[in-house]
Amino acid sequence: MAKKEERRELSKDSNSGAGELVRVDREKESAAQRAKRFEQDALQYMNQLYAAALRYTRNPDDAQDLVQDTYAKAYTSFHQFEPGTNLKAWLYRVLTTTFINTYRKDQRRPQTSDNEAEDWQLAEAASHTSDQGKSAEDVALENLPDSDIKRALLEIPEEFRIAVYLADVEGFSYKEVAEIVGVPTGTVMSRLHRGRKQLREKLTEYARELGYVKGGS
Amino acid sequence: MMESINCLQCQEWLIPFIDNQIEDSATFNEIAFHLQDCADCRNQLEIERRTIDVVRALLVRTCCETAPTTLQERIAHQLHLIQLQQMAGFSQTEIITQYRRTEITIDGQTQIEIETSHEIRRDFPLD
Repeated sequence: MAKKEERRELSKDSNSGAGELVRVDREKESAAQRAKRFEQDALQYMNQLYAAALRYTRNPDDAQDLVQDTYAKAYTSFHQFEPGTNLKAWLYRVLTTTFINTYRKDQRRPQTSDNEAEDWQLAEAASHTSDQGKSAEDVALENLPDSDIKRALLEIPEEFRIAVYLADVEGFSYKEVAEIVGVPTGTVMSRLHRGRKQLREKLTEYARELGYVKGGS
Repeated sequence: MMESINCLQCQEWLIPFIDNQIEDSATFNEIAFHLQDCADCRNQLEIERRTIDVVRALLVRTCCETAPTTLQERIAHQLHLIQLQQMAGFSQTEIITQYRRTEITIDGQTQIEIETSHEIRRDFPLD
């Protein structure tokens, strides 16, 4: 029954949810047919969901549990999924809500402030800074090992991490991220912006430690 | 003729502009026009864009783990179980009829109680 996994394709335009042009009549569909449809359509995202779950939970055991729970939930509520809409986004929403409701329950941490949007705009306005030697730094960052990039991602706050991951790795739009996470688009924008910025800072710091980049902070 | 936007307003929209997430076409055009005219903002745009691109490329390069085969098996197994449970849920039959009657002889001397129950249960084993 284990399906052959398709290698994940780069996601920038693969998240339109198109491709399911077959009309599905959910009323007439039998349980067995629905199961088959689920296996055909949903299981192909397992690698991607697992990679995301690793970022969410920050450890492989929890990540596996989270993906398994996600599939179980998705499977039992698959009749609610509207065929032809974006299945990948739907699965990510199940993943994210499951994570928030189950895995994060006991480690409640203060959420980032309500006025994130304003923060973001201020930060934006203030960042009209001059910049030189950027491309040397870019090269230095590109030379960082994968482990450092993962570490940086794990070190930034959870809300930022999830926003950056969904937008930049999975290629979801602001609106899709907002729906997946359950926050307004403005909040997504601010989290994304701040998350990217913090990531960039951390990566630069690592590069500096490794001697790729000159100068102190 | 619309009022054109200034640098500060342009800055506000720069990131969504780079991410191609401005849905309002009027706003999008205003920013595009402003960028055409303003070298400072254009410069800023390039810096931001490069920052985003570099980080994004690193993330995409790194975050591409494959689910372990054990996970694939666990999921396949669990879906199978749920499927069986669902099927059992749909086809599980449990019909229980019970009735009791009392028969008394004409002279009233003897009476018997008759209790009948029919039970039809059907279940699917879960494993």
